[in-house]
Amino acid sequence: MTDQSFPTLSSICSSSGAATALPGTQVVSESAPEQAPQALVQELSDPRRDLTRLASGLGFAALYGLALGARLGGASLLRHALASSAGLAAVGVLGMPALFVLLALVNAPVSPAAMLSVGARALGSAGFVLAGLAPSAALLSVSIESATAAAFVAQGGLLLSGGIGLYQLVSSVRRLLTGLSFGLRMKSTALLLAFCVFAVLLACRVWCALPILQVGR
Amino acid sequence: MNAAILQALDELLRSPRQVAERARAGGDLRALFIASVSAIIMGAGVFGATLATSRGGAQLLYSGVKLPFALIATLLLVVPAFHAIASGLGRPLSFSGMIGLTLAAAGRAALVLSALSPLIWLSFDRGLTYHPGVLLATACYAVAGVAALGIVLRGIGFDGRGFVIVGLFGAVVMSTGGQTAWMLRPFLGRPADASVPFLRGREGSLFDALELSMKQSLDAGPGARYESR
Repeated sequence: MTDQSFPTLSSICSSSGAATALPGTQVVSESAPEQAPQALVQELSDPRRDLTRLASGLGFAALYGLALGARLGGASLLRHALASSAGLAAVGVLGMPALFVLLALVNAPVSPAAMLSVGARALGSAGFVLAGLAPSAALLSVSIESATAAAFVAQGGLLLSGGIGLYQLVSSVRRLLTGLSFGLRMKSTALLLAFCVFAVLLACRVWCALPILQVGR
Repeated sequence: MNAAILQALDELLRSPRQVAERARAGGDLRALFIASVSAIIMGAGVFGATLATSRGGAQLLYSGVKLPFALIATLLLVVPAFHAIASGLGRPLSFSGMIGLTLAAAGRAALVLSALSPLIWLSFDRGLTYHPGVLLATACYAVAGVAALGIVLRGIGFDGRGFVIVGLFGAVVMSTGGQTAWMLRPFLGRPADASVPFLRGREGSLFDALELSMKQSLDAGPGARYESR
């Protein structure tokens, strides 16, 4: 059906219940179901592959920045490209380690390698969506006269890509937590929701540096 | 090959599910591609020329050329977004399948537009004026869009996630396509214009016009009359 060239949710998670895991990971559960919360997640993940994926995502995000920067041209191209990637990078660098620590605090069976893999895929997908939107963004940012309308269009793309990235992240982490006790799952879900709020605020803070969004300042 | 193209054209109208499945499966999509592009050029061309019957003259040719161009340019711009959104939300298709699906959907929409052309012509012939004509054309685009959605939804999956993907894609198509068409105005031709320009001056953008309309509505309250730009 598909010649899959980029991460998707379906490629991250198969639908086989508790046995689901990231590609390159093995869920080694204990024999008794009640011991599932203590299941070990052993990673066969490849950090180099994950970092490559992360870098690709940031590079794709820069394409969207370039498209937005075409409105003003010149050095603005570079500024938009950097700021566009920086929003995703900030979530990856500042947010993902914090999420791992918090999940570990509630004894969720996740590992740094698994979080790296999940984070790289989510950020890679967000960047991929931004790259897909880049042609439309270039047309709109160049041809729209009103600065407010151009900012609205730019925000729309960032919101869409960020939403898809967060959706991927939350879905993937929740799959990692399949089979845990109800209490642990609730705690982890609450942490994930809090992380989503933090990620949105953080990305917005960084993306505010995009000149196209600095309307009326 | 001609028979295959004619069959593909027939399927565009009668069997959206079959078209969607063929596009999704990949393989040899040449007949579908050719049929879809032909449908876009002919269908949108006929509709564009019909819109221009309100003005006549060179506008017939201009609109007949510009409307298919607007449709194809929009497709070129939005297919990467469709691919990325569908992949990101867990419904990946091969890029060629995605192109086949969107082309087929646009081809179907263009065929519907061509079918609505007699209605447009009759309306203008019976004295329909500029602004109601714009509204009627918009309604025709909406009907054609719904027909196109049938193919896209069947290709992506007729469920909640499929609707979300198509909804997001629809937002990208409407904004990009709307702006592309805005840049290629006029399609009807203003009655007050002495001569027919191939392209009208920039005069802001679709979003600027919408923004202005909203501001005017809010400032003047209900009953405010929209002054066309």
